[in-house]
Amino acid sequence: MTTSRSRGAALAAVPLAALALSSCSGTAHPGGSADGSPAYRLTARTAPSTGDIDSFTWSLFAEPVSIDYAFSFDYPPNTVLANVCESLLRWNPDLTTSPGLATGYTNPTPTTWVYTIRSGVRFHDGTPLTADDVVASLRRNLDPNTGSDWAYAFRNVKSVDKTGPMQVTVTLNTPDSTFNQYMAASPGTVESAATLQADGKDYGNPAKGVNCTGPFAFSSWTPGQSLVLKRFDGYWDASLRAKAKQVKFVFLSDETARVNAFQSGEVDGGWMVPADSYAQLAGSSRGKLYYGQNTTVADEVVGNLQGPLGDARVRQALLMAIDREGIVKAGVGGIGEVADSLITRNNWNNSPQSTVDPLLKALPQYPYDPAKAKQLAASAGVHGQSVVIASSPLDSQSTIITQAVEQAATAIGLKPQIDTVSPDKYTALFTDPAARKGIDLFETFWYTSITDPLDMYGSLRTGAFSNYGNWSDPQFDAAVDEASGTTDPAAHAAAAAKAQQIAMDQLPWLPLYSEPVSVFLGNRITGLQPSIDYLYYPWAAEIGANG
Amino acid sequence: MSTATVRVGVGRMVRRLGGHGWLFRVCLGVLVVFVAVALLAPWLAPQDPTVGDFADTMAGPSAQHWLGTDQGGHDTFSALLEGARTSLLGPLGVVAFSSVGGIAVGLFSGWRGGRVDAVISRVLDVLFAFPSLLLAILAVALFGKGLGAPVLAMAVAYLPYTARLVRGLTAQEKTRPYIAAYLVQGHAPAYVAVRGLLPNIAATVLAQSTVNFGYALLDLAALSFLGLGVQPPTPDWGAMINRAQSAVLAGQPLSAVVPVMAVVVAVLAFNVVGERLGERGTR
Repeated sequence: MTTSRSRGAALAAVPLAALALSSCSGTAHPGGSADGSPAYRLTARTAPSTGDIDSFTWSLFAEPVSIDYAFSFDYPPNTVLANVCESLLRWNPDLTTSPGLATGYTNPTPTTWVYTIRSGVRFHDGTPLTADDVVASLRRNLDPNTGSDWAYAFRNVKSVDKTGPMQVTVTLNTPDSTFNQYMAASPGTVESAATLQADGKDYGNPAKGVNCTGPFAFSSWTPGQSLVLKRFDGYWDASLRAKAKQVKFVFLSDETARVNAFQSGEVDGGWMVPADSYAQLAGSSRGKLYYGQNTTVADEVVGNLQGPLGDARVRQALLMAIDREGIVKAGVGGIGEVADSLITRNNWNNSPQSTVDPLLKALPQYPYDPAKAKQLAASAGVHGQSVVIASSPLDSQSTIITQAVEQAATAIGLKPQIDTVSPDKYTALFTDPAARKGIDLFETFWYTSITDPLDMYGSLRTGAFSNYGNWSDPQFDAAVDEASGTTDPAAHAAAAAKAQQIAMDQLPWLPLYSEPVSVFLGNRITGLQPSIDYLYYPWAAEIGANG
Repeated sequence: MSTATVRVGVGRMVRRLGGHGWLFRVCLGVLVVFVAVALLAPWLAPQDPTVGDFADTMAGPSAQHWLGTDQGGHDTFSALLEGARTSLLGPLGVVAFSSVGGIAVGLFSGWRGGRVDAVISRVLDVLFAFPSLLLAILAVALFGKGLGAPVLAMAVAYLPYTARLVRGLTAQEKTRPYIAAYLVQGHAPAYVAVRGLLPNIAATVLAQSTVNFGYALLDLAALSFLGLGVQPPTPDWGAMINRAQSAVLAGQPLSAVVPVMAVVVAVLAFNVVGERLGERGTR
């Protein structure tokens, strides 16, 4: 099931690998809906644990390639690393940001961010955290020799300097309203400078692991099998002291194997539960299935604007002909909603509601209407032209999405051709322009790593690494730049909404649906807060004994 | 005289079709039905299996969908019928190419004997070492997905089975008096090998090809299961099984069970028919 998609150097948000991803809209669904689709409810926090536990086992859908924070931009490495390494700020389960390894920050000029480093923090090897460690860790993302997957977050950074014994100053070339927010995700990770130097190229590999400050320390990694973390007793934050002495991550790529492992008690839990098993696991006697807040939207990326999809009317027609309600029903068992933009409502949490609500209501809508869509496409004169849809065979959601897009393309008079690509090639679609040659459409599950619309829309700016179809709109670029240049919440939201409006009118990507984060917890354990922040927040520390 | 020999070979086979017991007859009947279904699928299928209705997914058997629908809302019965076309056409290609190639190589090698035979036999040994599925995957990587590349690659992988059989039979048959009689009459060796010798080993070769057909069907289904064979929405039994995995997980296994049964029954029928033919051919 899913894929791991590693990202190349400068990616903006996360193209998700294919399969099993999740997302959501933050809306709770307390009862069954009128059309009989299954109801679901978001859980903010599972029942508190009753005490410590020796260990628990957790499933990952793929083995990380590395747990080096500079190359952790996908579910498997980030799920592990969130518990081991910490950032200057912390992205909380309610998607707010709070102090982390920095006790505070100031923004004395629009291009200067000054971080005060927390004292009394120790790395897993017992050495104390200093400003030098922060400088070395952040500068690593700037170094072209590192080739960090997070270089995008540092694109406006001029310098990172130690300006006091426990103070670090980041100077930007131009104001960037998202930079500070990224300090709560992987880009803000702090590793021991001595470890970075000593391990060099081996840093983060199975033999060396990492040496950070989180509630769990790296213990061992058996390639192909498992990765073990042990509790760090010298952890600075008493409120997030780990309740388990040990966590063992096992790599189970097969959906069925993973679900069977949940059902047999072989593993105690896992994120990203296969959607096909929702019904089965909801009724399981071995544990409970929970849904949480997400920032992921399933999209169909238009990777080639030279062909018939170069005309915006054809893209609009295609979206109108895709049975998105049907995808949600058939692909994720009704646990999700049709998306009217490329981000979720959660991404607007930091924006004033009075500013955002009217802007979101004005979004263009594309209700399912194949007949109207066919007329629209006919007006563009693309009848009979062929389009190639890439599909990853690893996940049933992808199969359903591909089927829906293929049927929609047929409905509007195009000649679709499906190309089932290997997981490796699918990953390459996101990083290698050559791999996208001859491919018109491919799906993605795109999550944002910060609570900000710009994490998504910034990646569609002209020339951005993730602007796969090389779409370009001067007004859109101006709106993104305007949003990027202001930290005033209302002005930022208004400019971001303007960008979104243009994107949803022009449809460089087609929004399909959002779905909640899913997690299964066996009967032995509880305490976790289901939320997409599990990629950067030490979620495993809160898991303890149940009853 | 050569004509008479051919008549003996084919006539022997035809006579034997009726004399193999009930299992053979049942399996032969099954194969006839499968082939008929494959030929007539577009007229037999009640619905278009390439279009799925999301409003009717993973449905149980009903008047509208005799065998229910899969996760994408495709009618399983219609997909089964149309899937028979690609599922049988692929193995037919493999068997046709591997039999023609295998007979040519085996006949030449067995007839010539000596060093030529030794060299060809070693080459065949090397070919034997390559699993057919691996060769097919390699062909897909080089030439792209679909039916063509894997069928040709698999034909190469199956060729040694037929070639070795034909070589052995040829070496044995060559020593019999009627071959010498042909040669004494002044017929060219190539003529004698093809028109004189080949018809007498045809029954056994046909049996081997029939068995190969079953295995090729299985291999191609596996390839489709991996997403490397014919691409959706073209129906194919292996691809149907692949797609039905999610339905199995959701507790609705019918859309997986149906194509699995089709593959099992087809392979079984080809094996039984092939083995019975082989048993009689060697007597």
